[in-house]
Amino acid sequence: MEVYTIRLLEYESKEIFSDYNIPLADRLVIVKGEDIEEKINQFNFPAIIKSQIAVGSRKKRGLIKIAQTRDEALSMCTEFFSRKVGEYGVEAILIEGLADIKHEYYCSIALDSSGRRFVLIASAEGGIDIEEVAATRPEAIIKQNISLTEGLSEIAAKGVAEKLGFSGENLDLAIDLFMKLWCITTEKEAQLVEINPLVLTPSGLVAVDGKMTLDDNAAFRQELIVKLRKRKLTELEKTAQRVGFSFVELDGEIGILANGAGLTMALLDVLAQHGLAGMNFLDVGGGASKERVYEALKLIYTMNPKAVLINIYGGITRCDIVAEAILQTMKEFPNAPPMVIRLTGTREAEGVAILKNAGIDAYQDMMDAVGKLKEVMG
Amino acid sequence: MYITEDSKVVVQGITGNQGKFHTQLMLEYGTNVIAGVTPKKGGQEVLGVPVFNTVQEAVNEYGVDTSIIFVPARFTYGAVLESLEAGVNMTCIITEGVPVIDMVRLVETAKTKKLHLIGPNTPGMLIPDKIKLGIMPGDMAHFGDVAVIAKSGTLSYEITKALGNADVGVSAYIGIGGDPVRGKTLTEAFDYYVKDQGTKVIVLIGEIGGDDEEKVAQYIKNQKVSKPVVAYIAGKSAPEGKRMGHAGAIISGNVGTAQGKIDALESVGGKVTETPWDIPEAVKTYL
Repeated sequence: MEVYTIRLLEYESKEIFSDYNIPLADRLVIVKGEDIEEKINQFNFPAIIKSQIAVGSRKKRGLIKIAQTRDEALSMCTEFFSRKVGEYGVEAILIEGLADIKHEYYCSIALDSSGRRFVLIASAEGGIDIEEVAATRPEAIIKQNISLTEGLSEIAAKGVAEKLGFSGENLDLAIDLFMKLWCITTEKEAQLVEINPLVLTPSGLVAVDGKMTLDDNAAFRQELIVKLRKRKLTELEKTAQRVGFSFVELDGEIGILANGAGLTMALLDVLAQHGLAGMNFLDVGGGASKERVYEALKLIYTMNPKAVLINIYGGITRCDIVAEAILQTMKEFPNAPPMVIRLTGTREAEGVAILKNAGIDAYQDMMDAVGKLKEVMG
Repeated sequence: MYITEDSKVVVQGITGNQGKFHTQLMLEYGTNVIAGVTPKKGGQEVLGVPVFNTVQEAVNEYGVDTSIIFVPARFTYGAVLESLEAGVNMTCIITEGVPVIDMVRLVETAKTKKLHLIGPNTPGMLIPDKIKLGIMPGDMAHFGDVAVIAKSGTLSYEITKALGNADVGVSAYIGIGGDPVRGKTLTEAFDYYVKDQGTKVIVLIGEIGGDDEEKVAQYIKNQKVSKPVVAYIAGKSAPEGKRMGHAGAIISGNVGTAQGKIDALESVGGKVTETPWDIPEAVKTYL
């Protein structure tokens, strides 16, 4: 239920790398809908054709291939754009010149949540097996903590580069690269900037792959995040984002409106134990306004649930406001599916009274509500 | 010391809707709210509480030692920094949506100054019948000797209320908040209540994601903690999340699933319950 990060595709990360003069291979981006043939004519082959899709293991899934000729590239691109993995489609294709690989490294700057700091991570054993390396031979992974107040020092960056075995000109290139990664991290408010592999070629270091995640909470001061957010979300998720609650579609048939991520998850767990399945995860968020609860309920109705379960434990959220929103939707959706309501916490008495006056029962105990829901679902 | 019933509290953002509403609830609970701060609104009164322009003025005038933050996310960094610079011992950040980089900076500053931060995106802290520093319902449980430490808000209300209904008293309730970077980690809060003489049993309320629960399990093992621990982990039925990049796994190993957390806590003697409502019975076996 990660709601804090925006994940960039490889080509989006590389656009940022390019802005910071991080060396990349020659590249060409074809966004879905653009004329493939016309674009490809500008590029030299052989080259590597990489699908831009929000899933991992692209090589294993056959979503990255080498094209020897322009014709081969054309048919690969056409095929890639028709591919789907789960709910994800290929959003763009990145075509890059082949790098002359002398050695593959790993490097990233990442947020260490529990350490509450950023860490520069590097290894001389980069490539697809890096997690295996980390698990079996942790000594092959170099980690350098970075103080946000002091920033990444050149001395620290040099220390890491030397441990990777760089010397001479390549040492300077590596230091420069690490400093640039740090600039990206702080200026773009990234939680991860990763290059794997970072390739040593006869002409220097090249970032062959790139991954970034950005902090959604920083959207108010990062235009890039606002721009990307518009592209990344489904229509339902956009509504959720606009109104201000977190929402994930699931496989069941009971619409869920609850408050607090933990309580919502616990509710789904308890339902699962009773053989009931939620259709969605919807945490209406702290201090929900009447409009937010109303929009959330409307969104749930659009999914045609068999029943709706509302579970609110008011802290900063007020039961009276939730009750008013429920009444409003009931007036507007007389044919709405059966609803089971549990309301407790801040302004509980007021909320329950508002519903009771309209002839609606609300439970105070969650298990009573789950029992009622079982009855409703037969 | 985090807070006591004698803590002198300043509310930052007292003139806003949420700030005012919850100041009232805290006052009704008996919390010693003696000042409020909103820039440019100094000189006013809110619910009989004097408002200052800066935290420093409230410290000079009344010796406040505890702050609670209700300002919007974009102003939270400045507000918390002000509290830290005024030397306030505990700053509790209720605000949701604070940028991660701001929190990393604030945690660094708090550490240097040896001051406490809790949150953001937290319900706050409660010592039943003594002090409520936050937005949680005040009537969940009476005072007693079981500490409740939680990552999530409403789920912890649910469990704390279940304890109260089962006549189990609570020595302290502390929400560490649901964000990736927090003023107090689960392990730091846990350490505090392991050492707290008034706490006999610790209830941990965790959820999928991150490695906080695994870290607590490691701490229990390393420090040979003998105080009983009862836990509930939410998210057993959640679909597996998508992961991106390798750095997370490199930093903390492959952790984060509900089962992984349950196994880690059980392996060090923790009792993990099947549902939130099994917690009181499990706790009672230790009292």
